[in-house]
Amino acid sequence: MIEKLKFFLTVTGNNLWQFRTRNLFSVTIICLSFLTVGIFVSLTNNLRATARELSSNMAVAFYLDKDLTAAEVDAVRQAIGAPAFVESVRVVTPDEALERFKASFPELADIVTGLKANPFPASIELRVNAKASASKEVVAFVEGVKMRPGVTDVLFNQDWVEKMQGFSRLAGAIGAFLGGILLLTSFFIISNVVKLNVFARKNEIEILRLVGGTNLFIRIPFWLEGITLGLLGSLLSLGLLFVVISLFPVYIGTSLGSLQELLRFRYPDLAQSLLLLAGGAATGFIGSATSVSKFLKV
Amino acid sequence: MIELFHIWKQYQKPYWALSDVTLQINDGDFYFVTGPSGSGKSTLLKTIFRETLPTEGQILINGVNILKVPDNRIYTLRRSMGIVFQDFRLMFHRSVFDNVAVPLQVVGVGRKEIRRRVFSTLQKVNLHQKMWELPGRLSYGEQQRVAIARAVVNNPEIILADEPTGNLDPELAFEIITLFKEISKQGATVIIGSHDRELIRHFGDNILFLQKGKIVGKEAHA
Repeated sequence: MIEKLKFFLTVTGNNLWQFRTRNLFSVTIICLSFLTVGIFVSLTNNLRATARELSSNMAVAFYLDKDLTAAEVDAVRQAIGAPAFVESVRVVTPDEALERFKASFPELADIVTGLKANPFPASIELRVNAKASASKEVVAFVEGVKMRPGVTDVLFNQDWVEKMQGFSRLAGAIGAFLGGILLLTSFFIISNVVKLNVFARKNEIEILRLVGGTNLFIRIPFWLEGITLGLLGSLLSLGLLFVVISLFPVYIGTSLGSLQELLRFRYPDLAQSLLLLAGGAATGFIGSATSVSKFLKV
Repeated sequence: MIELFHIWKQYQKPYWALSDVTLQINDGDFYFVTGPSGSGKSTLLKTIFRETLPTEGQILINGVNILKVPDNRIYTLRRSMGIVFQDFRLMFHRSVFDNVAVPLQVVGVGRKEIRRRVFSTLQKVNLHQKMWELPGRLSYGEQQRVAIARAVVNNPEIILADEPTGNLDPELAFEIITLFKEISKQGATVIIGSHDRELIRHFGDNILFLQKGKIVGKEAHA
């Protein structure tokens, strides 16, 4: 068994070297295809992570009428209750709001200090459970509270989360579409390269048949060739992807300004990297197997 | 034992490459099949190793009708045979060693054993010093010897050789047929298609004469 495996690997190595130019061409195409897929994977990773971050920090602030008394504020607070999706509820008094403003914008602190009355209204802040952040239930709840007397305004960053999730889905879809087309191209390239190799080795295949080689014995080196081409292409694409991710912020990222955060690439994780490699091997194997079964009538 | 019953083969109408050939070859027989060009020598050999199917008839090898063996099992038949082709059929981008090793590799013989057997076989055909050469760099005669070495390296039960000495000088041709004869003495059945009268006269235990696809004579000198 080990002897046969060694033999197949040697034959595969020899064959890959013998037709190195066309094999190099197919590795390049596979690499570019998987690089495109990889770029979209890392872009989607970033958008997803941003959406996750926003979701986990999702807060709703209900601003109350300035004329409400402390008892009326408390009544609104009681009316909000404690729904299951709310992690915490906090009443922010006008004084607290003023202090926060001063702490957040120290350069503007003088402006508010000079005012006779505190311009900030009281508010009720809710932190929403990340899992429920984009649910209809939360939206309905916010809309309900907004209609209550005494509530003048609401700040809800759900729009951003939805936008991020939308971008993430869009990037994923574009990646899947482009990647799909390019993977199909890789598949056909491998299929045709292996077909050419089959034709170029027709004489050898004939000899193997005549000395008692089984179908499997004849086919295995071609399969291994396809798998090797696919693996090499995807491995190379992973290497290039890491280079792109490392160099992007240095050369292009800074010129993007605030968009840089959105277009920041994240390294694919181990599972995604392994999936890309397995995808390369699978594309190579299927391309080669299709070609061999079609053109190798043994 | 190889038995051919009423074998007919037609490649193109109205010519018959083989006409009603019936023949029995016993284990260990040393056979020459001779006749002019186009008499059906090559076709007869090709039908025995099933490179071509007869139009009619039956071929039994050790009692098995080889025409009924499914395509995906035909390798079992071919592993018991060593074949020397008229056009050598060598792999020109592989070394002499690799060419001769192929029948051993397909049955999964270990690397050391392959090295030992290939070297000893190449010694027999006097090519061991060119083991790592590519066949394209060898003379026709040497290429033919590579093909012969490949046919005998796995000690097959049956050896079929189509004009195996066609490109060899008389001395080497004599040596090669002597080698086949020795293999035959060890129990292998050897069938050689040739029109070299001198060799046939010297070595021919059994001679089958073909003309226009028909058996026109048989001689046995055993």
